[in-house]
Amino acid sequence: MVLVVLRRMGVFATTVVVASIVTFLMLSILPGNAARIALGVQATEADVAAQATAMGLDRPAVVRYLDWFGRVLIGDFGTSTVSRQAIGPEITDALGITVILVLTSVVLALLFAIPFGILTAVRQRKPDGAILSGISQIGVAVPGFLAGMLLVTVFAVTFRWLPAGGWVDPGENFKEFLEHLILPAIALGSVQGAVLSRYVRSSVLEVMREDFIRTARAKGLGAGRALFRHGLRNAAVPVMTVLGLQIATLLVGAVVIERVFSIPGLGSLLLDKVALRDLPAVQGIVLVLVVFVLALNFLVDLAFTLIDPRLRSAA
Amino acid sequence: MTEKPTLSVKDLRVGSPFTELLHGISFDIAAGERVGLIGESGSGKSLTATSVMGLLPETLTATGTVSLNGADADLLTAGERRLNQLRGNTMAMVFQEPMTALNPLMRVGAQVAEIMTVHHPDRGRRQARQRAVELLAQVKLPNPAETALAFPHQLSGGQRQRVMLAMAMANDPQLLLCDEPTTALDVTVQAEVLKLIGNLVTDRGTALLLITHDIAVVAEVCQRVLVMYQGDIVEDGPVGRVLTAPQHPYTQKLIAASDLSSVDDRGRLHTMSMPVISTPGAAQSSPGPIQADAAAALTVPPHRAAHQRLEPDGPPVIFNEATGAPAISVRGLSRQYRRRGGGLFAPAPIVHGLREVSFDVAEGQRFGIVGESGSGKSTLMRILCALDQPSSGTVNVLGQSIDGASERQLRNFRSQVQIVFQDPMGSLDPRMRVRDIVAEPLRQVSRAEALARVEAQLAAVGLDADVMHRHPHQFSGGQRQRISIARALITRPRVLVADEAVSALDVSVRAQVLNLLADLVDEYQLTLVFVSHDLGVIRHLCDTVAVISDGRIVECGPTASVYDRPLHPYTQQLVSATPSMHELARRVTS
Repeated sequence: MVLVVLRRMGVFATTVVVASIVTFLMLSILPGNAARIALGVQATEADVAAQATAMGLDRPAVVRYLDWFGRVLIGDFGTSTVSRQAIGPEITDALGITVILVLTSVVLALLFAIPFGILTAVRQRKPDGAILSGISQIGVAVPGFLAGMLLVTVFAVTFRWLPAGGWVDPGENFKEFLEHLILPAIALGSVQGAVLSRYVRSSVLEVMREDFIRTARAKGLGAGRALFRHGLRNAAVPVMTVLGLQIATLLVGAVVIERVFSIPGLGSLLLDKVALRDLPAVQGIVLVLVVFVLALNFLVDLAFTLIDPRLRSAA
Repeated sequence: MTEKPTLSVKDLRVGSPFTELLHGISFDIAAGERVGLIGESGSGKSLTATSVMGLLPETLTATGTVSLNGADADLLTAGERRLNQLRGNTMAMVFQEPMTALNPLMRVGAQVAEIMTVHHPDRGRRQARQRAVELLAQVKLPNPAETALAFPHQLSGGQRQRVMLAMAMANDPQLLLCDEPTTALDVTVQAEVLKLIGNLVTDRGTALLLITHDIAVVAEVCQRVLVMYQGDIVEDGPVGRVLTAPQHPYTQKLIAASDLSSVDDRGRLHTMSMPVISTPGAAQSSPGPIQADAAAALTVPPHRAAHQRLEPDGPPVIFNEATGAPAISVRGLSRQYRRRGGGLFAPAPIVHGLREVSFDVAEGQRFGIVGESGSGKSTLMRILCALDQPSSGTVNVLGQSIDGASERQLRNFRSQVQIVFQDPMGSLDPRMRVRDIVAEPLRQVSRAEALARVEAQLAAVGLDADVMHRHPHQFSGGQRQRISIARALITRPRVLVADEAVSALDVSVRAQVLNLLADLVDEYQLTLVFVSHDLGVIRHLCDTVAVISDGRIVECGPTASVYDRPLHPYTQQLVSATPSMHELARRVTS
C-alpha cells in the first residue's frame, strides 16, 4: 500500500517535470521576442539586445529552463515584463480563488450527480426515471457559459437575490463570499453534474446486473439494501475515472466562467497576461494550471487505491 | 408420521410474454434429501432454482406453486419482505461463477458475517465475525482467521467457492440450492468441493438441490436425480437406477453420450440425434489428401511412446522420444514471465510458466496434453503455435525452428500448423460472414477457388453450403466449433492444435464434435495436439498423453497405460478425481 502510494507520487513528480519542459518549450518556440515586447516596438536593436542580456535571454535554452524551473520550485515565478513586479504573489492569489471555485463546483456536481444518477438507474423502467433521465440529457447539452448567463439573468438581474459578479475574500466577509461563489460554482458544476449523472446511472445499471448483487439478494438483502451495501462502492470506480478526466474540462470551463462573472481567478489572470503578451507570467500560469490538473488526478488515483483493494498490491 | 417435504414445487411454469420456458414442472425434496437436477444448457435448470429463490429476471413471470416445509404460503406470490426473510436463512444458494459471485471490494469474512447480521440483527457484529471465522474453518479453508481478512481476488477459485458455501450454510438453512457449483473449477478441486458439499448437508440434514450438466457430479453427491429436457422433467429416480437403467429415451442418450469409454461398432462415440444441418463426416464430398502422400504415410510404422514419469529431484526426461524426424520436437523449453510491479527498487518477481520441458510428437500421433489451470498447458500450446516465444530451449515443428523465428520465416509454418480454440463464440469475428471466416487463412487463392474450397471444407465438417452467408451468432456452440475446425483445416495443415476445443460444449454436442475431429484427423492424416483439462476427452481421442503440472511434464505414455497404471502421484490424483461411467455406476449401486 505504502509502496503503491510512493510509486504514484514518483509518477506525479515525473509528470510535473515533463509538463514544465513542455510548457517552457511551447512558449520559447512561439514567435516574438520577450525583450522586444518588454521595451515596445519603438526600441532600437541595440536596446533590445541589451535588454535580452539583462533578462538572460542570450543564455542557452537548457540553462534558461533550469534557471526558471529551479526558481519556480522555491516559489519564484520571476518578474513580469510588463509591470516589472514579481509574478508569484499574483499567481498565488488567483490560484486560491480558482481552487475554491473548481472544488466547490466538483462538490456540487457530485452532490447532484450521485443521487440523481442512482435514482434514474433504479427507476429506469418507470416513467419518472425516464423523464429525469431526459432532463439530465438536456443538461449535458447546455454549455457552461450559457448556464452562467441564464443564472445571472434570473437570480441577479430579475430577482436581485445574488450579486451578478465580482469576488469577496472569505476572510473579509464570509457571507458575501458565499453569495459571490454560489452562482459561478453552480454554472460551472451544473454541466459536469449532468455529464457525471449519466455515468453514475450507467455504472449503477451495470453493477445491478453483477453476480455479487445476485449473491447479496440470495443472502436475504432487499434490492435497495443490496445496491447500497455492495453496489455503490463498485459503481464508484468507473465514475471516478470519468471525474479524473473531467477535471481538465472543468478548469477550461473555469477560465470562461471567471470571465462571465468577473472573478479574479487564474483564468482571468491568464487571459489578461496573454493580452499584454507578458510571456514570463503566461508561462508561470500555464505551469500552475497543468500542475493543478495533475495534482487532482493524483488525488483521484489515490482514491482509487482506497476504494479498490485489487489496486493496492504492488503486482 | 409422514413429514412434509422441505421443498414442494407444483406445476411451475416460467415464461416471457412470447414463449414458455418451463412447462409445468413438479417435484418434492424431502428433509435432508440430496437431489440432482441435470440437463443441457437451455433446458431450464437454472430457471428452476431462481424461481424457487424468487430471483427471476424482471422480464420473466412464474406461475404454479412453490412452498417450503409444507407451509401454505406460496413463494411465487409471497411479498418481497417475506422472501428476504427466507433467502439466506431458510434457503440458501451457491452460484456457478466463483470469480464474480463475491463482492470484490469487501473482505470475505465480512461477507460471510453479513448473512448472519442481516437475519439476526440482535446478535452482535463481533459475534458474527467470530462465527464467520468458525465457518471458514468448517469449509476447510487454511488459516481461517487470516482468510477472513482476505479480499476475493486473493483467493483461488476453489477457495472462493468454499467461502460461498460457508456463507450459504451460515444460518443452517433447510434447503441448499447449488447451481453448477464446481463447473468452473479444476477436476481435483471439484472433487474436494463436492465432497465438502456432501459432508456439510449430510451432517446438518440440509436438503440439497444440485444443478449440473455433469452426471458424474450428481453421482458423487446425490441420492435422487431429476433429468430436465427443454423445460420439462423427463425422468425422476434414484441415481443408481437412472445411471444403470435409464427409462426415458433422452436420459438413455444423455448417459450414452456422456460415456467417453463406450463406443459403437465403428469405434465412434454415441451421439444424440440432435438437429444438425447435414450429416457429419461427409467424407466423400471433401477433397482428401493426395493419394501418394497417403501411401507414404502408411509405410511409416506407428510410433509407440514409452511410459515414463518425472522423478522428484531426478534429471529432466525427454518424453515420447521419437526416432527420425518427429513432427514436433521440444528440448529444454522454459518460459518465464516477469510479473508487473515488485518493490520500488527490488526486481519484479519471476513466474515460471514452463520449466525444462522436453518431448517429441511423432508424425500422425494424437498427442494429448492434460493439466489443470495454471499448469502451463496453455503457455505450451501458445509456444507450439509460435504465438509466444520460449525464454530458453528449442522448439522445432515440422522442421521449422520456432524460437527466434521472424513472422516472415513463419509464414509457411502458419499454414501448416492450425489451431482450434476453446471459446466457439469469442474466437469467431462476429462481424464476418462464415465464408470469409473460413477463407481467411487462404493466401494467393482466387475468390472463386476460395469459395469452392470453403464449400467443400464446410461439407467436410458437416455444414451445408447455405451457411456461408450467415454470421457466427446465428449458430449453436457445436456448429460454431465446426466452423472453427473448417477454418483450421482449409489450408491443409499437417499439425492441428486444439485448445480445450470441446470444453464449452454440451455433452451431446461434445460427442459429435469429438467424432468429427477423430474422422478428420484420420482422413487428413493430421498430427493432433489436443490440450484439455478433461481426462475423459483425451482418453477417447488421443493415443499418447502427457500430464503437465506446475510447468513440468510429470508423466507421459500411451493413453491406456497412463490411465490404468498412473505412475506419478499427481496423475493418480487426477485419474481418481474423474471416474468413468462404469466406475460411477459401480460406486452408486454398491
